[in-house]
Amino acid sequence: MINVLIILFGVIGNFIVYLSFGSLITGVGKGRKASQTEDNVRTLLVSVVLGFFFYYFLFFFVCVPPMAYYRPLSMLTGIWVPIVIAVILISAFFNGRRWIEQIKGVFDAVRREKVAAAVLLIIVTIQVFLVACTYNFTLDAAYYVANVATSVDTNMMNVYDPFTGAWQDHYEMRYFFATYSMQDSVVCRLTGIPALIWTKSVMAITIILLTNIIYILIARELFDRPVSVIVMVVCMFVVNMTFTTIYTSSMFLITRTYEGKAIVGNLALMTVFYLFMRMNDGSGYSYLKQWLMLFIVCFGATTISSSANMLIPVELTVLFVPLIIRKKLWKQITGYVICVIPGLAFALVFVLYVKGYFVLYTFPK
Amino acid sequence: MQGLNVTEKGITYLWECLSLYTGACAYMLLYVAALIYICIYGSRREKEVFVPCSVFLLVTVYNPVAPLILDRIFDVNSEYYRFFWVTPVLILIPYLATVLITRRQTGRQRLIVTGLLVLTVMFSGRFVYTDGFRLAENIYKMPQEMIEVSELIHKDSGNEYAKAFLEYEYNMQMRQYDPKMLLTIDREDYLDAVSMPYTEEMLNDEAHPEYRLLALLVRNQPVEKDEFTQALEDTKTEYVVVNSDHPKINYLKSAGLKVVNKTDSNTIFKYELSEPYEFELVDYSVVY
Repeated sequence: MINVLIILFGVIGNFIVYLSFGSLITGVGKGRKASQTEDNVRTLLVSVVLGFFFYYFLFFFVCVPPMAYYRPLSMLTGIWVPIVIAVILISAFFNGRRWIEQIKGVFDAVRREKVAAAVLLIIVTIQVFLVACTYNFTLDAAYYVANVATSVDTNMMNVYDPFTGAWQDHYEMRYFFATYSMQDSVVCRLTGIPALIWTKSVMAITIILLTNIIYILIARELFDRPVSVIVMVVCMFVVNMTFTTIYTSSMFLITRTYEGKAIVGNLALMTVFYLFMRMNDGSGYSYLKQWLMLFIVCFGATTISSSANMLIPVELTVLFVPLIIRKKLWKQITGYVICVIPGLAFALVFVLYVKGYFVLYTFPK
Repeated sequence: MQGLNVTEKGITYLWECLSLYTGACAYMLLYVAALIYICIYGSRREKEVFVPCSVFLLVTVYNPVAPLILDRIFDVNSEYYRFFWVTPVLILIPYLATVLITRRQTGRQRLIVTGLLVLTVMFSGRFVYTDGFRLAENIYKMPQEMIEVSELIHKDSGNEYAKAFLEYEYNMQMRQYDPKMLLTIDREDYLDAVSMPYTEEMLNDEAHPEYRLLALLVRNQPVEKDEFTQALEDTKTEYVVVNSDHPKINYLKSAGLKVVNKTDSNTIFKYELSEPYEFELVDYSVVY
């Protein structure tokens, strides 16, 4: 029972943190016009999804310097926790009233569309049950989850080999910039929650919920009627449950939810597509703000899994280059280029590492 | 993707990669069909959202030359399939299905369309739990017996860290649960052992004594007992955990390993190292 409560509070805590981080982006600089056109529910959901990426985006900058200088995990925890608390307090101060309105908006929407809400609740509950209660043997967890457990146990970051526990004399650059698992380590170190419970239950449920949120946002962007939105979300659920070979993103979502690749392949790619539709429709925020959101999502995704280094630039290219050409938004090329840069830069660093141009040692040399 | 190599396959790599990716699922075909529908009957906005990106995907990700070019910069052999994730299959197909259902005039029509779509999904997809699903045995989602093995080894060892050779599934999962269990074999070596036999040259490789352990315990290849125990010495392996019906049980006993405990299906052997080994973390306090 206590573990169920830990998982429940973990998921709720995550959402509070993401909302706080995301609201700093969606709330700041919003003009009157935007606040009139944006409905409360959508802003709340966008804030949460965006907050997820913004959280990992900021964490990256706090995590990498201590890791590169082989400082202990406890030091990173000591730096990061006050930052998170400060962000929550600042965000609550500036957005508190708006949150209340937005949450009221959610309850109003549920009251208005009881059947739709019930259907949504059922399919989300099924997914939560599947990711939280089933046993899935995957080889990659031998790295990702064991890395969290090893980092917590040794109080170091990426210094010991997760597969064997042996000390490594240099950092494996494939994983160095993907600081997602180090964030898991920070939480486990801080709370004492075992790595397996945090990654395979708390984060898996969190990711499933966030993915369904982005599905709702996409469906809402394509349909006005709530019934159609729910039908589309149900169809997405059906496709996810049936488009399953060991390679599909749907399979990753259902069976390997906690892995960075699954997050990039489902949540990040979908979020970029959602922001593309918003920009295509010219609704909501200014171009500058939309590119800022995209940049945060793109950079955040690269800190979650190195798979994003190539996937995100490709997705940006296939979505936004035709949009820029078709709408003759030549000034927006800058935004596209800036969003592509993080992924390509990390990919380049990895190529240089593989080709032997540099090594980052885990001790002074 | 396992078994596929860009250099070997050339421009056919993409097609074979796509075949493996889709497997028995016809969703990519449905995607193309949905796209054609949008091209013919779609509104301007629908075309703006779905058609240009699909055309760009066709000339980039689905261009047979693309993997050949990319492979010169990155090793994309095992990961090219992830580019297929960019295709908005999960958006376009559900979108069109919703359009087809909700734009019918009567409930009867909607029911018929829904029924047809259900049939399409049944023939186009493969349910994720077709082979059944296994409920987790505990909150850690780990085999309960593996947790028992961990506890028994630590109880016997007395040291903070213990080093063990484990059977395949436990080897891949143990350190997720118990980071104080050091493992003799890393993931890649185990995967290699499962897929190919060891040559004489590999067995004589002094730099890799773990090959002898894998050859004997995974591939059941003949290894001299003194060479096996020397490999345990060289790798500082104190514990060997094998299935209780493993064909080398008697071999392990005759090589001097002692049974320290058993679980329902596993036997835990202990090897007395000639020099006791105690693993210590690197002391970084001397650096700063």
